[in-house]
Amino acid sequence: MKYYVNVNGTEHEVVLTERLGVLTVEVDGEVLDTDYHEVDQLGQAHLLCGDKSYAVSVEGDDTRVAVTIAGHVYDIEIEDERERAAHAAAREAAKHGGLIKAVMPGVVVELLVSPGETVAEGQPLLILEAMKMQNEIKATSPAVVEKLHVEAGQAVASGAPLVTLSAIE
Amino acid sequence: MFDRILIANRGEIALRVIRTARELGMETVAIYSDFDRDALHTRMAHIAVPLGGNLPSESYLVVDKILAAAKETGAQAIHPGYGFLSENAGFARAVEAAGLAWIGPPPEAIEVMGDKIESRRAMQAAGVPVVPGIVDPIDDAEAAVVIAQEIGYPIAIKAAAGGGGKGIRVVREPSEMESAFRQASGEAISSFGDGRLYMERFLDRGRHIEVQVMFDGHGKGVHYGERECSIQRRHQKLLEECPSVVVDDELRARMGEVAIQAGQAVGYRGAGTVEFLYMDGEFFFLEMNTRLQVEHPITEMVTGVDLVHEQLRVAAGEKLGYDQSAIEMRGHSIEVRINAEDVPAGFLPSTGTVHNLRLPGGPWVRIDSCLYRGLVVGLNYDPMLAKVVVWGPDRGVAIARMKRALEELNVGGVRTSAPAAMAVLEEPRFIEGDFDTKFLESLDLSQARGGLSILAAAAAALHRRNEAQRQALAPDASSRRGWTQRHRSSLTDHIRRSQ
Repeated sequence: MKYYVNVNGTEHEVVLTERLGVLTVEVDGEVLDTDYHEVDQLGQAHLLCGDKSYAVSVEGDDTRVAVTIAGHVYDIEIEDERERAAHAAAREAAKHGGLIKAVMPGVVVELLVSPGETVAEGQPLLILEAMKMQNEIKATSPAVVEKLHVEAGQAVASGAPLVTLSAIE
Repeated sequence: MFDRILIANRGEIALRVIRTARELGMETVAIYSDFDRDALHTRMAHIAVPLGGNLPSESYLVVDKILAAAKETGAQAIHPGYGFLSENAGFARAVEAAGLAWIGPPPEAIEVMGDKIESRRAMQAAGVPVVPGIVDPIDDAEAAVVIAQEIGYPIAIKAAAGGGGKGIRVVREPSEMESAFRQASGEAISSFGDGRLYMERFLDRGRHIEVQVMFDGHGKGVHYGERECSIQRRHQKLLEECPSVVVDDELRARMGEVAIQAGQAVGYRGAGTVEFLYMDGEFFFLEMNTRLQVEHPITEMVTGVDLVHEQLRVAAGEKLGYDQSAIEMRGHSIEVRINAEDVPAGFLPSTGTVHNLRLPGGPWVRIDSCLYRGLVVGLNYDPMLAKVVVWGPDRGVAIARMKRALEELNVGGVRTSAPAAMAVLEEPRFIEGDFDTKFLESLDLSQARGGLSILAAAAAALHRRNEAQRQALAPDASSRRGWTQRHRSSLTDHIRRSQ
């Protein structure tokens, strides 16, 4: 099985081959002599690489995994060949949209723009309060405000759409 | 001393107070919200009283419920911890009016020190050096621009009722004033219910150094040296150490003396922290925190004094019983705060259930924590989950020990601030002691810094393979539900037919 594993923005190809009960791990064309053992079902694992021992923590789902080794957390996105093709298509489609989403759960304190308004890059669009800190959500590029998805006082979840911007003609 | 005390708080600080009280043979009363039914402080206390509700405003901030719990359980004193009602003079008064001892400073001292404008006035009068600025509240952004010309940029706009880094904005030029003023006053109103703002010179390259003081009710005060708290982000501290590399014995004595002077000027009693801004050999009073601080353990590690024990003693009316010469600082201590935050995403709040947990141990490592497997981390309460505190005979050993402890730590289910602290500890400028309050914000923390990406990639792929195998072997939840559904309907059909 071949996986495309993106670690902090750098892609690695990991090939796992199982033959006659022996698992071979190949990263970027090089065979690693590894023995991966799950300590519990909660995330603690032990990775032996040659005779080197690493007490690691691995958690996440099929596509997003966080691996902790010696106090550092590696953010990982993982795709097999089929998923890779599907994701590439989705990414291409998303390029042309201008939807700004909440990156954290919070409450919309104030809307600073209205639909139809032209905004400059970096201009504050609205104020989102999370953990009692007020954060300005800014325009990522010069644009026209197409639609506001929220109202002042509204609680939003992480990932909720806030504002749709469209490119200036 | 007291036989039974109530702790009007939650989390690691409630547990911290419970621990000392237990060691002294004192009984403890915990209060808890519905959300905290399983919390460690609820479980570790002798008595636990439910307050109901989930939000702080339904539980830990409701004075009447807390006083009723104290009365019902026969508690003689209330320890407020930090945050919540700890710096609320009205609560302190209500506690005393109910005939209970308040384990904190007199309400009048809380009031003066809690108001940035009042405290600046009081400190100026007492001869304590303060940051250049104005003490009168500003009306609006236009007035602020005028006053800013006199003080000189950069300017810090601060909430009069502020604290915890909320309601503070830095303005570097007049054009930024309006947006900064609006945000600071919005935050001040939502956090403190008081929109008054004042201004002072923003000393850009300063260090945040604070002095721990303790006063008994008999006019005696001592200090336990300083804490270096410059490793912070948006005024939220991440890593603290004691002592500070820039403070020598002579400076420590001077800062300590001024800190005691500050406390005496407001008739202080109990534990307090006087915060200073230090720059090029000069130091200015910033504010006094009229409570036990989050980072108090590093002072305890270096001085060998249990600050909660001292709080309890002086609140019970005991004399300190020693003077400044009895306080000795030995070695070096560092604390790292483990907050539920996503560091690469810019320290955004992280929520989830802690299922994967490995806490460090070993010599001279202290964990003050509210963590347990199954802990649900939400948005209703403070994001601080734990403090890792180490001691070493010198700063080098303490740094090495903290790195070792953080390598052992895993908190899964939420993201934590630990990798950011790790990055700080590995940074040459930190190791040399050359940093200020801008240091943490200057680091690029958007990506992991460890050099084991290949291994991490292999572990992730192996994890996915194991997950896939588990799913293939176990009948999955949806098909089980489907089977039960079919089974039930066929059973109902059967019953219907037989009727």
